[in-house]
Amino acid sequence: MNASANVLSGDQTDALQEIANIGMGQAGDSIARIWQQFVELSVPRIAIVEADRIPALIHHFVGDGLVSAVRQAFHGGFRGEVLVVLNTGNRHELGALMGYDGPLEPHEEEEMLLDVANVLAGACIGGIARQLGADMGFSAPSLIGTDLDAHSVVRPDELSVATALCVEVCFNVKIHQLSAHLIALLPREEVAALGELLDRFLCTL
Amino acid sequence: MDETTHLRLLGFIVERLEVGILAVDRQCRIVLWNRFMETHSGRLLDAVQGQNLFDCFPELPASWLKRKIDSVFVLGNYAFTSWEQRPFLFRFKHNRPITGGVDEMRQNCTFLPLRDASGEVKMVVLTLADYTDTALIQRRLQAAILESETERRKQRALLRRLQGAKAQLFQSEKLASIGQLAAGVAHEINNPVGFVTANLGSMERYLGDLTQLIGAYDAAATALPAAQAAAVQQIRQKLDYEFIREDLTALIKESREGLDHIRRIILDLKDFTRVDQDGWQAADLEKSCDSTLNVVWNELKYKAQIVKEYTHPPHPECIPGQINQVLMNLLVNAGHAIGDQGTITLRTGAQAGEPREVWVEVQDSGHGIAAGDLKRIFDPFFTTKAVGQGTGLGLSVSYSIMRRHGGRIEVRSEPGQGACFRLVLPVQRTEISDQSPPDGPDLAGEVSAEELLALEETDGR
Repeated sequence: MNASANVLSGDQTDALQEIANIGMGQAGDSIARIWQQFVELSVPRIAIVEADRIPALIHHFVGDGLVSAVRQAFHGGFRGEVLVVLNTGNRHELGALMGYDGPLEPHEEEEMLLDVANVLAGACIGGIARQLGADMGFSAPSLIGTDLDAHSVVRPDELSVATALCVEVCFNVKIHQLSAHLIALLPREEVAALGELLDRFLCTL
Repeated sequence: MDETTHLRLLGFIVERLEVGILAVDRQCRIVLWNRFMETHSGRLLDAVQGQNLFDCFPELPASWLKRKIDSVFVLGNYAFTSWEQRPFLFRFKHNRPITGGVDEMRQNCTFLPLRDASGEVKMVVLTLADYTDTALIQRRLQAAILESETERRKQRALLRRLQGAKAQLFQSEKLASIGQLAAGVAHEINNPVGFVTANLGSMERYLGDLTQLIGAYDAAATALPAAQAAAVQQIRQKLDYEFIREDLTALIKESREGLDHIRRIILDLKDFTRVDQDGWQAADLEKSCDSTLNVVWNELKYKAQIVKEYTHPPHPECIPGQINQVLMNLLVNAGHAIGDQGTITLRTGAQAGEPREVWVEVQDSGHGIAAGDLKRIFDPFFTTKAVGQGTGLGLSVSYSIMRRHGGRIEVRSEPGQGACFRLVLPVQRTEISDQSPPDGPDLAGEVSAEELLALEETDGR
């Protein structure tokens, strides 16, 4: 997973990995505070991917089984989109966690998925951006679908980029059997902007 | 632009923008409340400023919204609500007092964290955009999509029925032509068979005469000189005259039986095709069974034992040629089902109750029908036979014929236990509507002229 070398320099990649580690750690900590649950985090993985490999990559991250997926755009220091692919075991307990009363209606379940994705995306991208001194904004999240096969979360022929920088991290909230993969994707032309921010960050060290 | 002007401009925009803007502090006290919020809530800034949001608006979903605002304070991130999942946050009247079409204003909301110099989130700004028009358009679009999908489904079903109808029509016409051909051939054979029968009668009479004559000669033979008598005797023995005389009688008797058989077959063929009497009439179902059985006998004679359990029910009004066609389908299918050896049982009976109904059953001891296939056997083109053996139309044609008769066709079968088809006919003819049965397969003869016309128009052909 070191293919990013041809776009980001070795130093930049190392810095990004370090920033992602710290940013995700902070994000996990904040999420644990608002949900009052212990949140398990994977080490972020960084890679450059070809667009047509993205479905296989998502499948590689989340495995077999049906998932729900949400997308959300972020903009500011750099632009991109976040895919949040969720495996929600116990949706009702998760609903209680998010402040819903009683059993969830289908549209409430959708809203909850959007909310969970928004919280994760905001925390993670915000965590990275803060360290880089970038001020980020977010579009409203939108639902890609529920009960999807991991391969069909994105259709490569509909993607508007050829290659993208991908940062992936997995959250687990054990007692609610919630597992969520956050996949941040930066179009290749945005990588330079990120590189500049990383350089500036490296200068401050 | 100096800073004061800039701030005044921003203040004006916040105040007058057609978007609801409010801000709350960490205790959810209202700090900012723009004109949009004043207009739609009917509460002025003075009335709500400093008040707790949930005290002012008890109808808000408190536990969920508190958590949401809380997460913006804690995480410092954006949060959103969409009208698609949550039609509105504040119960506001929509801005369509005249044109209407929706109950409350549809809202998309954004929660923005407002940080102080230290980076701590001090306030959450909530913007509220009116999405009522979008929601209305979306609702109309969805209705239109639904309608066009329903229409497409209907067209597909019609097309399927049209294909079925065409195929059935072709099959029926084919059978009718074969029937006509058979009836024509039968008619043509009938004439020579007639004169051969007549000639055979004459021959039999002449033979009696000749035998009588030879008998007379025999009696007179004693008067012949010995040499001539011996010559006659020799020819007699050489030809084995005694055998010839006895065999001729037997040959003529057998030929007469053969001719009788031909005549019966011709009658059955005529009876079966009924080209001469193509209309509704009271028909003896047992006679129909017998004549149909004779027509298909060649298919069955080596493998099927036929058992008849006739109870002489009343004669129903029907088109006998069509009922015979159904019986032929069932008998041929039964023959295919039993394989090498088996039994075909023909039963007739009458059902009590109104309307009076009679029935015929064709039961075979064959391989039976799989449960999954039972629902589909009357569908056009459904066949379990090998390629080239079945058209998949026999039972669907039969189903149509029975429906046109106001009757029905029932089947019971278990795999390995054989199958039993029962044709039920009302004794009195009933008028049949052209509508599809609610649970029947898509069938020929049931596509109305208007439907076909509509179909061809939409088909663009």
